[in-house]
Amino acid sequence: MAKVDLTIEICGMSGDGTIAAGALLNNALSRAGFSLMAFDSYPAEIRGFGRCVTRCRVGDEEMLALTSETHVLISLDDEQSFSRIPFLAKNAIVFFDNRPSSYIEEGKSIAARVEPDVILLGIPFKDLAAEATGTTRGRNITALGALAGVFDLPVEPFHKVIRNKFEPKGENVLLVNMKSFDAGLRYAREELDYSPGIPFPVPEKGDEETERVLLSGNVAIARGALDAGLGLYFGYPITPATPIMEYLAKALPENGGRLFQMEDEISSIGAVLGSFYGGRRAMTATSGPGLALMTELIGLGVMAEIPAVIIDAQRGGPSTGLPTKTEQSDLQAAVFGGPGDSARIVIAPTNVIECYQYTVKSFQIAEKYQTPVIVLTDFFLDNRVENVVMRHATAEQIADGNIYPDPALKGKYHRFEVSESGISPRSIPGMEGFLFATTGLEHSEKGIPDYTPNNHMEMSGKRHRKISGALADLPAPEEFAWDEALDVGVIAWGSTFGSALEAVRKAQSKGMRAGALKITSIFPYHVDAIRGFMERCTDILIPELNYEGQLANLIGHLFRKDVVRLNRVTGEPFPVSIILEKIEFLVKS
Amino acid sequence: MKTSGRALAAKVSSIKDSGAFAIRSRNLPTWCPGCGYFGIHQGLNNAIQRLGLPHHETVIVSGIGCAGRYPFFADTYGLHAVHGRALPVATGVKLANPGLTVFAVGGDGDGLGIGGGHLPHIARRDIDVNYLLFDNSIYGLTKGQPSPSSPTGFKTKASPTGTTDAPLDATLMALSYGASFVARLFAGDPEGIAAALMEGIHHKGFSFFHLYTTCVTFDKNFKTWDHLKEWIHPLPEGYDPTNLKQAMNQALEDHFSMGILYKRKKE
Repeated sequence: MAKVDLTIEICGMSGDGTIAAGALLNNALSRAGFSLMAFDSYPAEIRGFGRCVTRCRVGDEEMLALTSETHVLISLDDEQSFSRIPFLAKNAIVFFDNRPSSYIEEGKSIAARVEPDVILLGIPFKDLAAEATGTTRGRNITALGALAGVFDLPVEPFHKVIRNKFEPKGENVLLVNMKSFDAGLRYAREELDYSPGIPFPVPEKGDEETERVLLSGNVAIARGALDAGLGLYFGYPITPATPIMEYLAKALPENGGRLFQMEDEISSIGAVLGSFYGGRRAMTATSGPGLALMTELIGLGVMAEIPAVIIDAQRGGPSTGLPTKTEQSDLQAAVFGGPGDSARIVIAPTNVIECYQYTVKSFQIAEKYQTPVIVLTDFFLDNRVENVVMRHATAEQIADGNIYPDPALKGKYHRFEVSESGISPRSIPGMEGFLFATTGLEHSEKGIPDYTPNNHMEMSGKRHRKISGALADLPAPEEFAWDEALDVGVIAWGSTFGSALEAVRKAQSKGMRAGALKITSIFPYHVDAIRGFMERCTDILIPELNYEGQLANLIGHLFRKDVVRLNRVTGEPFPVSIILEKIEFLVKS
Repeated sequence: MKTSGRALAAKVSSIKDSGAFAIRSRNLPTWCPGCGYFGIHQGLNNAIQRLGLPHHETVIVSGIGCAGRYPFFADTYGLHAVHGRALPVATGVKLANPGLTVFAVGGDGDGLGIGGGHLPHIARRDIDVNYLLFDNSIYGLTKGQPSPSSPTGFKTKASPTGTTDAPLDATLMALSYGASFVARLFAGDPEGIAAALMEGIHHKGFSFFHLYTTCVTFDKNFKTWDHLKEWIHPLPEGYDPTNLKQAMNQALEDHFSMGILYKRKKE
């Protein structure tokens, strides 16, 4: 059992420095040796004057999901924090400013609203910051100091992250923030006579190898692409994929590549295909509306057998949908989107480290199987941060995946030669004696348009064999079950898998025979492994953040009876508790 | 006498092996007899041959339409993409390997209609791609519908009472988008095309070739050989192609003067 498992929230109005304080807290806790998962929410409109919430689950074991209960709430604006009251756990601790700058009616203080079990720690954030620095600007940092003081957290990681963040902004800014922090810390230690009942011991430091890095899914993708030797990035701004482009805009040129913000998503995927055709690794990242625009050129990649790497950071849909909310509703568009029989490869990481690993992998797979690879992520996975143990890709993992023609075939080369595997060696412009033209028209082995009946049969077969064959190189489903026969088997993908696994572990600890199966290869998928798991289960439960049950639609036919679908489109990450309730219900019935 | 397929193939092979075909491929063009595209083909062929560009370091990217088939008829690397997207794909190819000579080809429907949104951006990025726009003001491959460069009142099966939309002028567009090299050429003058292409290929940056051509099958009234020959003429004597304002004036006031209208001076 975990010794520490706390959810800390900071809530304020835009301008209070809520998100900034959250980032510092995450960094400091990560440095201190905790494991964590954090996720921010803030107003969607740029000048939107609204509520900001940053949520961090921190513990000493691997974090799989967020919780719906908050153990510690730091209120930087009481009126905004009212909305967080329903999420407070029993005996939660609330830090609030008990000397706000302007007069506040008694009923509007959070102290007047919370349940009696809540522990209220009134600390004059603003006054303390002002006394120490002459400005109230650092009040969010004062609140962090108070948190560190109350829980007796090591101070050094906080000082370090404050230094890292503010030192580049000048000595004065650094001093203001450092003093603001220390003021909160001193107040909590010297003037607040309170010792929390919640355990928060710092985990024992492991060896150097377990050094953790704080990464979001998007940054992990960008780093994966860089480590895989990305040469060119073409993209168009779209939430929630834009941070990938912004990270690469600085990092890619520093690593010998170039980044172009294109005129739309169509040109982005067009240029990616052109680049791979020309022999250089390229990538684009988009979200649902952009993926829809790319459909035709993805089909060209399939037909003309040109690699491409496309990140689809899913958000709520259809159409413009819910740009800043999480959903898993592009699965069908990614797998089936497009006219004709256009099988392509779709993979979906379930956590931040897999975002890195699968992005690396997608380049080699795309090259080897000469086809577009779509990496499906979602808003929650893209934007949440985890502190992960970073293991950089090996030389083998980033090696060129292209299969080039045998030099002996010079002058006699047939680009689309039909083979058992469906793979035909691909020459690259610049190779003498291996000229070919490729096309989105159905074509002969030489690449010349050919609409004869047998040719289309044969070429369709070749392209599909290639995709089926790719299974050998794609990550197999991973099982988390300790019983042979299971009452409930939960199959999940993307960010929902973490919630599913945590629910299954809780069910197991209550003595239920439950198991989880993680699916990351969405298409093609491992029929035998999935069916093998299903056959051992009385019920199959598939929780997904979409209305229809898109994974259930894809693999449900493998089960002897109907799979149980559990669908939510609230725009929020899948709550563990809802999956657990469903497991309990199925076990009992 | 009708030549048998095998005899024709043998003949093509023998000419091919003699080297006279240059970039012409063993796959004979499927364009209609008398099509203006043959003249463009000859111009491009001659330019590549005269410059001695290695075929394996030459890539032709195309869109969809009669011009889109070009890669199959050229003995180079080729990428027949989708409708309207030759320019972004060519951008990717050129950036992937700047050592390649990259051409993008397509018709007026492909480049001014469905793909019209890409021309401004490749121009302002000044990607070193040579773009040949085959402008016959009609959709040929779909058998004769009006295109974005058809004149107002243009009658086709899809516009039986004549079109009401005004035509686009690709030369003016390219100039205003900031293309660093703009030429307007006539399919009936392969030597003129070859000469301009040779200069454009050398030009480091985006080169735009607006090619006035015919559709002998579906347009019997507008851009016919007879009309084009009557309308076109060279640029005025002493024309300075490095003056953008003058180029825009020329393009605006005289739609039929042929030659290199603009070439940005090296900084």
